Amino acid sequence: MPVIPALLTVAGGRPSAAELETSLLAGQTLLADSPEHVVEVVDVLCSYGEVLDAYSINLIYQAEHQFLNPFPVFRFLDGDLSPAKIWRHLNHDRINFEYAEYCMKAMLWHGTGGLDAYLDTPAFATDCAAIIRYKTRRDLLLGVLHPLFPNFLPEAIRAAATTHALGQFWRVMSDLFLDLARAEAAGEVASIPAVVEFIKAGLVNAAANPITYSVDLGGERFWVLPPEAGLTFLVDVAVPYVEAVFLRGMPFLGTVSFNAQAQQISPELEQFRYGALYADPLPTMGAGIPPSLLMQDMYRHLPERLHNLYRLRTRGEGDVRVKICSSFQKSMFCVTNAAINGTFPQPLASPDPAAQAANRAYAAAWAQRLAGARTDCLG
Amino acid sequence: MPLPSQLAWLIPLYGFCGMVLALPWASVWIKRNGPRPAAYLNLLLTLVAVLHGSLILREVLAHGPQHLDVPWFQAADLNLRIGMDLSVTNLAALELVTVMSLACQVFALGYLDKEWSLARFYALVGFFEGAMAGVVLSSNLFMSYFLLEMLTLSTYLLVGFWYAQPLVVTAARDAFLTKRVGDVLLLMALVALSAWAGSLEFQDLYRWIDTAQLAPLPAALLGLGLIAGPMGKCAQFPMHLWLDEAMEGPNPASILRNSAVVTCGALVLLKLMPLLRLSPLAIDVLLVVGSISAIGGALVAIAQVDLKRACSYSTTSYLGLVFLAIALQQPLLALLLLFAHGLAKALLFMSVGSVIATTNCQNLTELGGLASRMPATTTAFLVAAAGLTGLLPLGCFWCFGLMVETFLPEHPLLTAVVLLTNALTAFNLVRLFRQVFLAKPHAKTRRTPEVTWLMALPMVSLAVVVLLSPLVLSRLDPALLHLRALSSGSTLLVLGSSLAGLLAGVVVQLDEFWSRSLFRPLRLLQDLLAYDFYTERIYKGTIVAFVAGLARLISSVDRVFVNGLVNRIGSASLASAETLKFSVSGQMQTYVFTVVAAILLLLGSLVWLKA
Amino acid sequence: MLSLLLLIPFLGAATLLLWPSTPAPGRMRAIAITALALQLVWSLRVLVAFDPSFGGMQLEESVAWVESIGLNYQLGVDGLSLPLVLINAALTLVSAVCTRDISQRPRIYFSLLLVISGAVNGAFLAENLLLFFLFYELELIPLWLLISIWGGADRAYAATKFLIFTAISGVLILGAFLGLALFTGTVDFSLTPIVGERLAMGSQVVLLLALLVGFGIKIPLVPFHTWLPDAHTQASTPVSVLLAGVLLKLGTYGVLRFCLGLFPEAWPLIAPGLAIWAAVSVLYGSLAAIAQRDMKRMVAYSSVGHMGTILLAAAAATPLSLLGAVFQMVSHGLISALLFLLVGIVYRKTGTRDLDVLRGLLNPERGLPFTGSLMILGVMASAGLPGMAGFISEFLVFRGSISAFPLATLLCMVGSGLTAVYFLLLVNRAFFGRLAITPPTADPSADGRLDIRLLGVDLRETLPALGLSLAVVGLGVWPAGLGLLGEATSTALAQLPALVAAAQGGLG
Repeated sequence: MPVIPALLTVAGGRPSAAELETSLLAGQTLLADSPEHVVEVVDVLCSYGEVLDAYSINLIYQAEHQFLNPFPVFRFLDGDLSPAKIWRHLNHDRINFEYAEYCMKAMLWHGTGGLDAYLDTPAFATDCAAIIRYKTRRDLLLGVLHPLFPNFLPEAIRAAATTHALGQFWRVMSDLFLDLARAEAAGEVASIPAVVEFIKAGLVNAAANPITYSVDLGGERFWVLPPEAGLTFLVDVAVPYVEAVFLRGMPFLGTVSFNAQAQQISPELEQFRYGALYADPLPTMGAGIPPSLLMQDMYRHLPERLHNLYRLRTRGEGDVRVKICSSFQKSMFCVTNAAINGTFPQPLASPDPAAQAANRAYAAAWAQRLAGARTDCLG
Repeated sequence: MPLPSQLAWLIPLYGFCGMVLALPWASVWIKRNGPRPAAYLNLLLTLVAVLHGSLILREVLAHGPQHLDVPWFQAADLNLRIGMDLSVTNLAALELVTVMSLACQVFALGYLDKEWSLARFYALVGFFEGAMAGVVLSSNLFMSYFLLEMLTLSTYLLVGFWYAQPLVVTAARDAFLTKRVGDVLLLMALVALSAWAGSLEFQDLYRWIDTAQLAPLPAALLGLGLIAGPMGKCAQFPMHLWLDEAMEGPNPASILRNSAVVTCGALVLLKLMPLLRLSPLAIDVLLVVGSISAIGGALVAIAQVDLKRACSYSTTSYLGLVFLAIALQQPLLALLLLFAHGLAKALLFMSVGSVIATTNCQNLTELGGLASRMPATTTAFLVAAAGLTGLLPLGCFWCFGLMVETFLPEHPLLTAVVLLTNALTAFNLVRLFRQVFLAKPHAKTRRTPEVTWLMALPMVSLAVVVLLSPLVLSRLDPALLHLRALSSGSTLLVLGSSLAGLLAGVVVQLDEFWSRSLFRPLRLLQDLLAYDFYTERIYKGTIVAFVAGLARLISSVDRVFVNGLVNRIGSASLASAETLKFSVSGQMQTYVFTVVAAILLLLGSLVWLKA
Repeated sequence: MLSLLLLIPFLGAATLLLWPSTPAPGRMRAIAITALALQLVWSLRVLVAFDPSFGGMQLEESVAWVESIGLNYQLGVDGLSLPLVLINAALTLVSAVCTRDISQRPRIYFSLLLVISGAVNGAFLAENLLLFFLFYELELIPLWLLISIWGGADRAYAATKFLIFTAISGVLILGAFLGLALFTGTVDFSLTPIVGERLAMGSQVVLLLALLVGFGIKIPLVPFHTWLPDAHTQASTPVSVLLAGVLLKLGTYGVLRFCLGLFPEAWPLIAPGLAIWAAVSVLYGSLAAIAQRDMKRMVAYSSVGHMGTILLAAAAATPLSLLGAVFQMVSHGLISALLFLLVGIVYRKTGTRDLDVLRGLLNPERGLPFTGSLMILGVMASAGLPGMAGFISEFLVFRGSISAFPLATLLCMVGSGLTAVYFLLLVNRAFFGRLAITPPTADPSADGRLDIRLLGVDLRETLPALGLSLAVVGLGVWPAGLGLLGEATSTALAQLPALVAAAQGGLG
């Protein structure tokens, strides 16, 4: 007999900006600490780490070996053209690298932070010119197109640079998340605060890693992002990534109308609220929801422990990817949490009122942004 | 009959098979692997359809047209058949449909690369393609109608592809209902025609019309019914609203819809053309509807702020011109324009699609400066624009020239409509180009690398086809390539109108153009056009309100009078309403009593009869 | 051969009732399903034995029963009744299969289902008016019980309403049959057409009208339809399937067999009025459906609309329109059963059928995507989209009727066009958009955060609906089979008026 709808509809909590600010300043985690949350976050990050590993390898392969290739037909095969690999590719028995490209496009398109700023500098233009000179001399098509469309090749090189930088960023994150899973298995990490602390430590450790990119053309090395540019992991790539993918994102065709007259999409990119922290997990795997690709990839690498946990909840195997999405959102709140904790302008424990004020302002700005996010998963 | 022609019935089936083959992925029966195999299978089948079609085309060019015929349903005086006319025209249209479908499917692999419901999309496109292939080959009105309705259904499903998006919900509904109105009217005409003429084969109908003796009223109604279906399909005023809303659907489907689907609708009208002689009223309506659509569509397109819609209204406009040609019994002109428009419009929509894919934006005021960074997209837009207007000797130039040449002596007003449409379209395309490709980059167009090869390749290939379109079209009409076919007067008129549009587009101030004018009458005009003559509101206020009001009225009559009366009778006859409502066991007794009484009555009367 | 079609379900019911001890509900369901499967197999066996080229009654069986009052056990089957016997077998099986977790008195429930199926077979096969009436009445009591015991909250009211209406229907039919005996002065209750020599035209028309109203209640025709929406909304899903798919057909079958078949001479007199009545019914049903908010009520009103077209076909009484009537009975049976099944699934999973509440059920992981896809197929079939059963049926009806009654036919086409309106509203409201099963609140952003935890639909639950969908598509793509089955009989039936007139002319 029919059930009562009230049991089927669950409304999560919605903490206010003030509450979020308080917990940030108090050093509390945004995500409530519970054993189940630890399993969800650690295991989802573990599968995410495996997926990111593949994404990272592929993005770096694309940037280095498919550089300015007009027909990159085999760009997802990482250079392995064996029949078995091609068959698996055709059968779509593979990682959805399209999602990695989607994140790259989001980063490039939103264009914030140090990496993006560097792409508009004269130094970058000079490096580009050298590459283009080399390419146009050998490639007839490019030789014809470049004079007609002078920004075509530089723009493609900018995309390649972002691709490579994102690949490097994900390399670090992948290792970090897999380390986290190992640490949890070894009993070193057992609570959400410990998880956040672990990620924060990882981010801080990698913060100053240099981001560089060069291509090898006919045995000659061309710099695209030279070491002299001084690009580093945290501020030049990680922060723009968080901005573009976690926070702003791009509107999903499946939920937002692009119709200009309907004016559903803000003309200001700063106003965008379509990122991973804001997305609705319920329509996952529906039409026009790009993160479905990531959920599928994580589903294929799901640790058995988490899978068993999911089997006991709601529809079991039937809606497993919605549950992955929801756990993923929780883990992304942890990552964001770690990033915020790691980037407070002053030490939280500082008794200096000026330092406290600076921290408060910083926390308030974040809390303001996060208040509209899907905080209902945090309880 | 050679084998490929004998197997022509397979051609629509390729598309339908593609749909069936995509189902395991579309229904998520295959859960671990992604949906792409469905796409590859559909591409493969479409490729087979293209090749099969071209084989038949070669045979038909060598040995003349063929006819295929299979009985489908036969009862009493009704004989419904699956019939195909393998004529050059039909096969050329088939090639247009299948090649467009192929190009659009390759394009979709790129455009929808981050789409998880890819299998459903390809299943629907397969269905779409199968229905279109059937419509263009069909040799009888019944089969044409049958497949047109399937097109309506697949349009609904394709527009509704992103079903969770709020505007899609209404867009899919309106697309279906508007087309359905036309379809029901066409069905009425079809049923009447079937009863009067017997056979529904086009050839039999053409013979019947020569001898048919119809009173003016039925003839007029029949004619109007027959044009209603294609009017809906071709998005003609006043049934054009759906095309605007259908732009909520995925762009690859928009490519097909604006090129191939409207062409299918017009081809059916073309096949019905000889029947329209029966009703001068229908011809007049065609002329009026065509003219209004041509100019109205072009004007509304100019006022649109949305890139997709600015292009889609021009489809209404061009199909209006096709309607004019059909009304004036110029089948060849109509065909040429359909082909030239179909090719160029598909290219235009591909270019638009790649702009949207790169910028996540359809708002013209937020676009700009793409030209130097996107070679394929820019070229595609330019070639498409050239192919659509009468400036360079590409497809539409010749069509407009021939139209002017044919219309001018007897219908100077219609000639003006053609030239005005051309000028307005040129103006619109130039202002679009300036806005999207030339103006200064905005935030959303600051970083715009060219699209992937999966989108660029079909775009560039189609651009080449459009550039070669005069050669392609000359296969349909060999006289086309000779400049002598056009007098210098018509050439000058077409060139002049295009240049006028071009210049106006170049000089108009884009910023001023967009800000709403302070001068009230001008502002009212801007709004009138931007909101498509308020068609949606007019519909809401009239037909929708009427049906909804009637439904509410009937429903309350049903509740208050019919049901109320029943309840009163019930309560009067059965002591009280409370008994009626609650005492079930009491009613059991009533029932048993009734049955017993009935049987007693029965037996009693029979005994009485026997006595 | 035909008697087995009665024996199998009745014996099945008896087995269930007399089963020693109390078997588990699952066991009883299995017994019922076995009996119904046997019935279906035997119906197919009859189909094999049936000769479609012959228009009259076949495989006849006759046993004298109470000869003194003209009640004979006389069965036969023709192209009009055979498709309905098949539909009956198939749909009763479907409704038994889709009955799950029945806690309350399963023994009686399943035996009632079987009794209904047997009685309906009896009514379709009876060649004797009184025998028909007995079966017609026999099917009422079980159905009434099914609604009043296993129905929804307001079941008592709905069941009583159903009972009163159908009792009146029964009385009118019986009255007409008795009147026939009374006026002609014989107790010949066989299916022989009544001609002017035996009965004056005035009496013919009176009896015919009584029969029409009697069957019109059952079909149901406006204004006698008001029992139907209530009965449907209160009945459980399997009962709705049976009611819409099979039992309504008794009304239209009665119109064709007993009104047109018995009074071919009087028929042309009232046919124009009937055509208008049909158009009113179709438009009324469709318009009333548009205003409904309850999915089940909407489907119920759509039945009123679609069954009306059968009256139009009967009024026109051309070979084509009558064949169309057969088609429409079969396809309405399949399609409405399909829709009720799907609405039932939605109701079971969400606890509501309210279109102001349901949203986005197509959601792939948490919604009911497969149910939704079949629902789209079902409503499109109902709206008469080609390639599915509804189109060819309506096409035949309209094509067969347009020459006789152009205006009524066009109005009916408008009505059938309106089907698209309300069913599209249904699909777009309930299945498109973001998933929700509570009414929208003032704060859309809060609504967008609700987590909806609907239970999944098992493949088993969808199988009956899937089967019906395949049948709907199959009939739409390949209608020639059913056409062959029904053509000879509908042609024979359509020629009755002419034959009678010719015979009259010859004699006079």
